[in-house]
Amino acid sequence: MNGEAILPYLIIIPLFGAFSMPIVSLAGKKAREAWALLISGATLAVGSWVFYWVYENGTVLYTLGAKSPLGQGVSFPIRIVWEVDLFGALMVLMVTFVAFMAVIYSLGYMRHDTGLDKYYTLILILELGMLGIAITGDLFNFYVFLEIMSIASYALVAFRNDTWEAIEAGIKYMFVGSIASSLILLGIALLYGEYGTLTMGYLAIKLSQNPTVVGKVALALFISGLLFKSGASPVHMWLADAHPAAPSSISAMLSGLVIKIGGIYALARIAFSIYGASVSVKTVGWLIILFACITLIVGNAMAVIQTDMKRLLAYSSVGQIGYILLGIGIGLAAYGSQTGEIALAGAIYHTFNHALMKGLLFLIAGAVIHQLGTRDLNELSGLAKTMPKTTFAFLIGAAAIIGMPPLNGFASKWLIYESSALFNPVLGAIAIIGTAFCTAAYVRVLYTFFGRPGGKALEAKDPEKSMLWPMLILTIAIIVMGLFPWGISDKVMIPAARALENQLAYIATLMGGG
Amino acid sequence: MNCVGDDMGVIVRTAARATIPLIGIFGAYIVAHGHLTPGGGFQGGATIAGAGILFLLAFGLKEMKRHFNKNLYSALEGIGGLAFLGAAMLGIGVAFFYNTLWHNGPFLNGKPGTLLSAGYLPIMNLAVGLKVFTGLVSAMAGLALYRRWRE
Repeated sequence: MNGEAILPYLIIIPLFGAFSMPIVSLAGKKAREAWALLISGATLAVGSWVFYWVYENGTVLYTLGAKSPLGQGVSFPIRIVWEVDLFGALMVLMVTFVAFMAVIYSLGYMRHDTGLDKYYTLILILELGMLGIAITGDLFNFYVFLEIMSIASYALVAFRNDTWEAIEAGIKYMFVGSIASSLILLGIALLYGEYGTLTMGYLAIKLSQNPTVVGKVALALFISGLLFKSGASPVHMWLADAHPAAPSSISAMLSGLVIKIGGIYALARIAFSIYGASVSVKTVGWLIILFACITLIVGNAMAVIQTDMKRLLAYSSVGQIGYILLGIGIGLAAYGSQTGEIALAGAIYHTFNHALMKGLLFLIAGAVIHQLGTRDLNELSGLAKTMPKTTFAFLIGAAAIIGMPPLNGFASKWLIYESSALFNPVLGAIAIIGTAFCTAAYVRVLYTFFGRPGGKALEAKDPEKSMLWPMLILTIAIIVMGLFPWGISDKVMIPAARALENQLAYIATLMGGG
Repeated sequence: MNCVGDDMGVIVRTAARATIPLIGIFGAYIVAHGHLTPGGGFQGGATIAGAGILFLLAFGLKEMKRHFNKNLYSALEGIGGLAFLGAAMLGIGVAFFYNTLWHNGPFLNGKPGTLLSAGYLPIMNLAVGLKVFTGLVSAMAGLALYRRWRE
């Protein structure tokens, strides 16, 4: 089936699954679980096909409600469009894959909770929102999907409402997220008022013809709102509460996917595809680099001193977001040069890798909580003896996130180090310092796992199959991706970076798609 | 009629009995004319939900429990969403959200400004109205049922 025809099913299938979940739930627990599995599996199949299609045939343009985005008798687009280039398609693949793993994991992990029909409805809506952001080519459509994603994640963070921790984290997340969303909405309103269009590609043309101060103010609002959403450093405080408080399968999706799609991807898309030709990329790039450096140091350093395992992972996510932002910042500041391209490819590569790694690590944290009922690192001593498979998976995940050579994290971090050292040696040094902190944090956890067994750890055992399989699959994915680091980089990541950089092609696909 | 009753007394109940049908009819009007006049599925659905909330407040939780079936409302909410999605998919042969009823018929393709026009829009308004009504009533009933304060 061709890519244009199958693209809407990326939205239709999860939406159908979410809306029919209350009805299917009436048939019982088994039916509900099978339905969630089926829907997210089908979404993964469609997502893989979209990725394959875009990889083979280039950017896909889809118009909602008509054949062509252009209006009748006029030569500019008036309809809502979805435009998927290789970068977007890669994000689609990442979202559908990790979400599918999270749903499998939920079968075992959430078995003892109540209100599961709402849980599965929300998890499908969360996936739907992220997919929408990845494929959309319309600013307001982007905002709608961003809100769908955000509201589903507020509710999911507070899902275990028997503890005040979850409710507090959910409310905090909601306040911060709403502020960020309103900044973004204000930016969209300014752009619409100034240029009278919401289609990203056409907006890019309008902006380059007539760059105004209003456009720059809108960009400032976008950057501030999206840095909130991605958990960059001065405003990362919600992340460290929200991600640990959620059920672990949700933490995996929040840390692995939501902050990437709702923050990094959207930031890159707006900065490159809309503003690429109409602002000083050097200034914007350095601005992002500045925040990236703060994020990198603060996130990784805070991870070292945590005693709560999930909080440690959450702070580590902040640190890794710093690396990705650094890549994007250098990509902007060195726009058009070889260094910029490498940095951007590294950022995209690391986005994908970190989704797998942090997904895996949070699933492991969930398995530990499930067995021991605690996530305090002081009580987890000696798990290596009683939970060998889990510990092995953690070893792989931790080694990958630090950037050990045979695993996937190495290649992406290497690209970022290399480009930052080429661009400005100081940035390279800062990136290395961040990694030193990151290593310290994970070595601490590993040291605990391999320590002397004691207390509750003695009765723990490896989790059941439905929780073990997603961990195993993610581990295998990390190892296999680590075996072909430069092949993946040359075949997928560099072309994705080129697709993102090439603003003219993005516009041409839209305007010529008639 | 004793002191533990959770309704709001005979005056409010009588007034509610008179106004609930009117609120419901007004809401239904807003939903049905969503494609012609200001308002639509969401606004009309919220108005109808106002009737349900008035019932809950005036007659109390005990009476509400007798008339409110959680599973039914949940299923109706799902059906509302599915109907919306179905209407959007009618023209999937051309594009998602293509208004094939308006362009090709066979019904809802009357003169613009009449009630039976605008293709899938009236269907979508009805679907959204159903979803918003059931969703808001379920949310209010949930708030009333699971409150943790007092007693």
